[in-house]
Amino acid sequence: MLARQSLVRAASRAAVAPGAAPTGARNMATLREIELRLKSSMKMIASTKLAKAQRAMNAGKEYGLANAEVFEHASDKAGANKLFIVVSSDKGLCGGIHSSVSKATRRALANDVESPLENDKSVDPASPIAVIGDKSKNQLVRTYGSNFSMTFNQIGRDIPTFADAAAVADLITKSGVKYDSVVLVYNKFVSAISYAPAAMVVQGEEALKESGTCSRLDAFKAYENEDDATKDLAEFSLANAIYAALVEGHACEQSARRNAMDNASKNATDMIASLQMQYNRGRQAAITNELVDIITGASAL
Amino acid sequence: MSAAWRSIFTYNKFAQITARAVRQSLKEEQRIAAEKRGLTAVRYQQWESGQGGAQVVLSEELAAKSS
Repeated sequence: MLARQSLVRAASRAAVAPGAAPTGARNMATLREIELRLKSSMKMIASTKLAKAQRAMNAGKEYGLANAEVFEHASDKAGANKLFIVVSSDKGLCGGIHSSVSKATRRALANDVESPLENDKSVDPASPIAVIGDKSKNQLVRTYGSNFSMTFNQIGRDIPTFADAAAVADLITKSGVKYDSVVLVYNKFVSAISYAPAAMVVQGEEALKESGTCSRLDAFKAYENEDDATKDLAEFSLANAIYAALVEGHACEQSARRNAMDNASKNATDMIASLQMQYNRGRQAAITNELVDIITGASAL
Repeated sequence: MSAAWRSIFTYNKFAQITARAVRQSLKEEQRIAAEKRGLTAVRYQQWESGQGGAQVVLSEELAAKSS
């Protein structure tokens, strides 16, 4: 990368030396330098952010797994009211992150074959939707705007905190939206260069109360929890799940942004190479023309 | 007999309030590290039949309520 920068600088110096170079050559060379430097510094920033985000994601995933344990034996009523929470963010320049989540939500609501809810195809297309992140909000508002119950933004600028997730869960519970279960649509981190949309289902309070009736273990009922504690657990596990999804989505976004910047710098260098060819050809043509003028002029004397 | 706070706010709010109390009681060094984990700048909008309401900054709303 540094070698290429000095090459560009050398090329620009060589271009400026003969006075017959076309105008704007010097500007073009320095612009190229600036472009290269911008792209590579953005790439470095994205890489450090990615490492941090990945660490947070690994820590946050434990919350999600602990959550899943609780619901393993909860009853799974098909056709229950579902509240969809779409997890994305406000910033762009990250490839297809936001559209992947928006499209997955659309497929789920349309009970498409490729819906992220693999087993459950009985989704009501008028299900309430809550969106975290302006980008997905703008993508979904035209087709599913009437389903929107709440939208959130300003999450994901830095690594999402549990306070963010708790605030979202609190607002959703307070808003009085009726649901039996919550489906969180987010991007799952597959690897540093790929992600895939996925859905996490969080059962509501009712399902927790009834859990154990249809499985071999009378697990939850054995605790003889008071209703209050069950409600608390349902609310807390919603916050947990939102946190796990937020953190994983954030890690996916950082990696996608780094990859997008990578591709952009690669395309920029390709473009620079072809422009350089064109520029050299133009310069040589100009020099040739001047030489011809001089020679014809000299022969006239 | 259920606790008095249940009728006022949700469990998540309760957890956040207690967490804030714990964070403020820590020693200086740990407190600074912990405060970062409690930051949230969430803004939200209520939606009615395809129309979004005003965007409300949650922390400002809370400050207004308590003042």
